[in-house]
Amino acid sequence: MFSKHVTKDISAYGHGELSTEASKQFAEHVLSCVRCRTKFEEIKLGIKLAEQLPQLTAPDSLWHEVESGLGRDEAPARVVSVRPGSSWRMRMAVAAMVLVALALGVWLYNSQPGPHSGSGKAWLVTRLGGTPKIGSESISSRGSLSVGEWLETDGSSRAQIAVGTIGSVEIDENTRVRLLETQPTEHRLELARGTMSAQIWAPPRLFFVDTPSAVAADLGCAYTLSVDDKGDGRLSVTSGWVALQAKERESIVPAGASCETRLGTGPGTPYFDDSTLEFQQALNKVDFDNDPVSRTTALKSMLDHSRKQDTLTLWHLLPRVNDSDRVLVYEKMEGFAAPPPGVTRDGVLKLDQNMLEIWRVSLEGGWILNGGGKGLPKGAGDKKSLKSWFDLKLKDSEKKK
Amino acid sequence: MAEQLINGQVIEACQQGDRDAFQCLFEAYKDKVFSIAVYSSGGDRALAEDVTQQVFLKLFTAIRQFRGDSEFTTWLYRLVVNACLDERRKRKRWLPWDSTQTTVAMNNVSEKKPQERQYARLEVAEAVRHAIEELKPKFRLPILLKYIEGLSYEEIAEVMGCSKGTVASRLNRGHSQLAKRLSHLNSPALWGE
Repeated sequence: MFSKHVTKDISAYGHGELSTEASKQFAEHVLSCVRCRTKFEEIKLGIKLAEQLPQLTAPDSLWHEVESGLGRDEAPARVVSVRPGSSWRMRMAVAAMVLVALALGVWLYNSQPGPHSGSGKAWLVTRLGGTPKIGSESISSRGSLSVGEWLETDGSSRAQIAVGTIGSVEIDENTRVRLLETQPTEHRLELARGTMSAQIWAPPRLFFVDTPSAVAADLGCAYTLSVDDKGDGRLSVTSGWVALQAKERESIVPAGASCETRLGTGPGTPYFDDSTLEFQQALNKVDFDNDPVSRTTALKSMLDHSRKQDTLTLWHLLPRVNDSDRVLVYEKMEGFAAPPPGVTRDGVLKLDQNMLEIWRVSLEGGWILNGGGKGLPKGAGDKKSLKSWFDLKLKDSEKKK
Repeated sequence: MAEQLINGQVIEACQQGDRDAFQCLFEAYKDKVFSIAVYSSGGDRALAEDVTQQVFLKLFTAIRQFRGDSEFTTWLYRLVVNACLDERRKRKRWLPWDSTQTTVAMNNVSEKKPQERQYARLEVAEAVRHAIEELKPKFRLPILLKYIEGLSYEEIAEVMGCSKGTVASRLNRGHSQLAKRLSHLNSPALWGE
């Protein structure tokens, strides 16, 4: 919190111009400093906008004008070849250049959604065991993963990907991932199946992983994400926070908690890993059982097995259950932690977004501590730091609205 | 990229006055030089064509002085930056923006893309171009060299004759000014988030 402000390095960080160590220090500071964080968001938008500048095409007639200008100028009138036959080679080179430019144009047009997206940068892949493949090529020790390419491991191979200068991802056995995007303002992988563990030291919402049933958005964290053959998945967070999103549904998962996802439904409700088995089994039914009666029965069982720290789960459930079940959830939560000033029973039951957010922020301290406090910024032991951490979390949710 | 086909032999041939080699060079860099000229001249394509022409004519004679002490691209872009700044000095101020020309230019770039996406992107690109036009040259040029030419901070510093720290600082301020002027474009829906 008391380290030097990093606003002057924001663009350099976004463009990958800082060293890995400097990037880590940058991210750590931004996570704990509201002022730098606000500036970071502003410059991130500036970068996004600047990326929209397209390269224009010079008119075909321009060469003729240049050529006629060459005739008039005092430029060498004599054509001197480097060696016999080189002029012929140059003609061939010009023809090749035009063809390459044409092919490149077609490729760019077909493969890129925006004028500057898919910057062409590749990520370094290191073999950790067996013979992982990029496309159809096996990696002996190191390889590079370009935008659009798949990295695949079999039952005996593993690999590690360096995510620019912002972190690393370990790819377990039997996993298939693809690099979708690597830009200053967004790095995105697709996890089609298997398991990956990410450790990211970046400001929130720079690193994303698409799965068949949800998108994991990094909020400055370490986590493991797995996807089975049906496209269902599970997220377990070991440090910081991850947002799991699909359409309108979002689950915010802190360290020490997990969240299931289902194809067609999206993310379920996050729960702490140390909650009881009965609680987790009942929650699974509440989230994914199609029978409403069965869901209500499961909800009652889940509430019976809930603890104070399970307000993480209960808070997320408030907008996801029907009106009568919401009363049960509210009353259980109220028993664990009375709503803070400005938050009323009526407002919560009517799903007043502002009140829900205020209540969430007041509960978050307990959720973080339940997860071992991992992911808190350095020096967050003091109240001032914790307050700024919560402030920026609240700012995030306000922005989303 | 096409410019990767430009090797020492092509440059050497250009230095000897080989026009075929020079056309090779022209084909490799014309779009980038033209783009910088358009963005630096307030969207005036006719003026940008003049500047591009001047750059290549100058290049044809000046290339004999290229000693290979620096990357050819940084050397070339220094010529481009100087030509744009010279043009600006001559005219004292940029010409008014011609929206018709801009739209035509944008359509050329984006034609055949899905309609909705193209429309949204055109709107954003148009707004960005206006905002970039309003930046001071010292903030605009690093942005053009970064996003049009794809140069690193070190290369931009070499082209502009300043330190890497100055490049970082100017890009920061340029990005910041763009964001402030175009804050209304900060909508998740617009960016497909």
